[in-house]
Amino acid sequence: MVVRARGLSKTFRGPDGRPVPVLHGVDVDVKAGEFVAVAGPSGCGKSTLLNLLGLLEPLDAGEIWLDDVCVSRLPRRAQCGVRGRSIGYVFQSFLLIAGLTALQNVLLAARYVGRPRPSALAEAQILMQRLGVAHRADHYPAQLSGGEQQRVAYCRAVLNAPPVVLADEPTGNLDEGHAAVILTELRALCRERGTSVILVTHRADAAASADRALRLREGRLESQGGEGHS
Amino acid sequence: MVEVRRLLPRGYLFTVLGIAVGVAGLVALGAMAERITRFIDGGDRFVRGQISVAGEGMGMGTGFTAGGLLRAARIEQIARVPGVAAVQGQVMLPLNPTTSQFLTLTQELILGLDPAVRMSNREFRELPVREGRALRAGDRGVVVVGADFAASRRLRAGGALDLATGRTFQVVGVLDKTLTAPDRFAIVPLDDARDLWLRRDPLLVQVFTGSVGGLGRGDLNTGAAVAWADGVDPDALARRIQAEVPGLNVTIPGELSRLLRQSTAFFTALLFGIGVLGLVIGGLSLANTVTAAVFERIRDFGIKRALGATDGQLLREILGEALGVSISGGLLGVGLALAVGTLVDARGDGQQLFLFSPRLLGFALTFSVVLGGLAATYATLRIVRLSPAEAIRRGA
Repeated sequence: MVVRARGLSKTFRGPDGRPVPVLHGVDVDVKAGEFVAVAGPSGCGKSTLLNLLGLLEPLDAGEIWLDDVCVSRLPRRAQCGVRGRSIGYVFQSFLLIAGLTALQNVLLAARYVGRPRPSALAEAQILMQRLGVAHRADHYPAQLSGGEQQRVAYCRAVLNAPPVVLADEPTGNLDEGHAAVILTELRALCRERGTSVILVTHRADAAASADRALRLREGRLESQGGEGHS
Repeated sequence: MVEVRRLLPRGYLFTVLGIAVGVAGLVALGAMAERITRFIDGGDRFVRGQISVAGEGMGMGTGFTAGGLLRAARIEQIARVPGVAAVQGQVMLPLNPTTSQFLTLTQELILGLDPAVRMSNREFRELPVREGRALRAGDRGVVVVGADFAASRRLRAGGALDLATGRTFQVVGVLDKTLTAPDRFAIVPLDDARDLWLRRDPLLVQVFTGSVGGLGRGDLNTGAAVAWADGVDPDALARRIQAEVPGLNVTIPGELSRLLRQSTAFFTALLFGIGVLGLVIGGLSLANTVTAAVFERIRDFGIKRALGATDGQLLREILGEALGVSISGGLLGVGLALAVGTLVDARGDGQQLFLFSPRLLGFALTFSVVLGGLAATYATLRIVRLSPAEAIRRGA
């Protein structure tokens, strides 16, 4: 799926009520099966860009297209469907639900898109097996290590085979070994399923392994990168 | 506690406990209000069930037969008034004459009845006996006691009771709880009651033994209960008795009922206040607990929105959980109130403070479920206004 964003802008209100502009007219193009990294200093708007692309945050200006559908203009309910079917999220802080087991957290992705439970369960078990967390299926997040939690979160993000996966610092809280597992899986997603992956990262090795790296500075796109980016 | 945790949705234990405390408060206050209401209603039913008659003057009678001596001749005259079905002469005395008599709501009374004459009160044809038997014609030296009277003295059928006069009576029966005046009665045969009256009133003994005015034992009545024939208007009959039989204090059932309601207006207002207080305290506690529990999970709802949950799906999910939590909390609260009420009522002085009626318990459960649902809906509607990212940020 092609991701196309034009003129994305976002301003937040500061504690004193003053506007704090975060993104200024950012354009993004990601091809189907492309692995794109978003890099830049802290506070430059990387996570906000990802939230906008994932329809997790309303835009102040601009448009977001998935293939030929302008998803940013869809009604509220239809945007829920796009989030559930077309976009998978992996967050730095895992964002697992504490009251659900690892397996229940993974299956949550299927609940809101109306997938039949048996097929979702079978796929969830295969995914968890592949990521090495099947033996932790009945454990609650607090009973899992950080690496295990991120692998469970990854399984949840890809359970519905979304054509777009957005990963916000997914390795930020992981050691080298676990970070490598997640990055390898994201890479495999692009290669094997043709998934478009947009990865926000501070890690130079992660950015280097991407097809392209977008560089953000103070809310503006500094570079779109390119094949064999530096 | 471990078992309770398994029955509840994970993470909701303290929510359920919070709701339980609110519901327990509501049920306990409501049960006290129900208890007072039942007492007042019982008194009202009683006064509407008979025409109470006493002799002219003050006398030493008490309760609904307060007035002067009602002589046998007057009773016979009353019985001849058209519309009268039966007249039952009675002696009603305070058990302890030193007790302030204006506190009639909790006063213990001795009631002398002739068991051979049918009860004249239409609302209380017979008093329910829990243990032993009722009075029988020809009984002497025996007593049937009300439930509270028995409980405060640990009396059982077969036991003995000194009615504060040095004369011991055999307890032949204990009444079932009526939650109104008879719970504090000691019911004795009419002749025994007359003896007790004579023993405790020296002036009456002098008058009686001096045969002033030709008094006989049959004249020793503090009052009488008059029953009316079917189809007769009791208020009209009471006025007819007053007009046709001189020298009587006659209560008009309808007027007495109104008077009773007026005199208990304070309690009615108190009950209303207790009810409102219970609703406010219980309701606020419950609504606050459910709302806080939903807001506490704002991050979870943000995650679910990110996974594609629609407003309707979230609302259904939260309402389902709120329903489960409210029912669990409601049941636990009712159980808590029942336990506390039972403990308090078992303290041994025979006074029952709480009445856990089915309507109260049903109302409390319905109230907790409806309010829990409303509070959850309010909180959900507030949450779904937020973008998923904002909900996740606020819940972090």
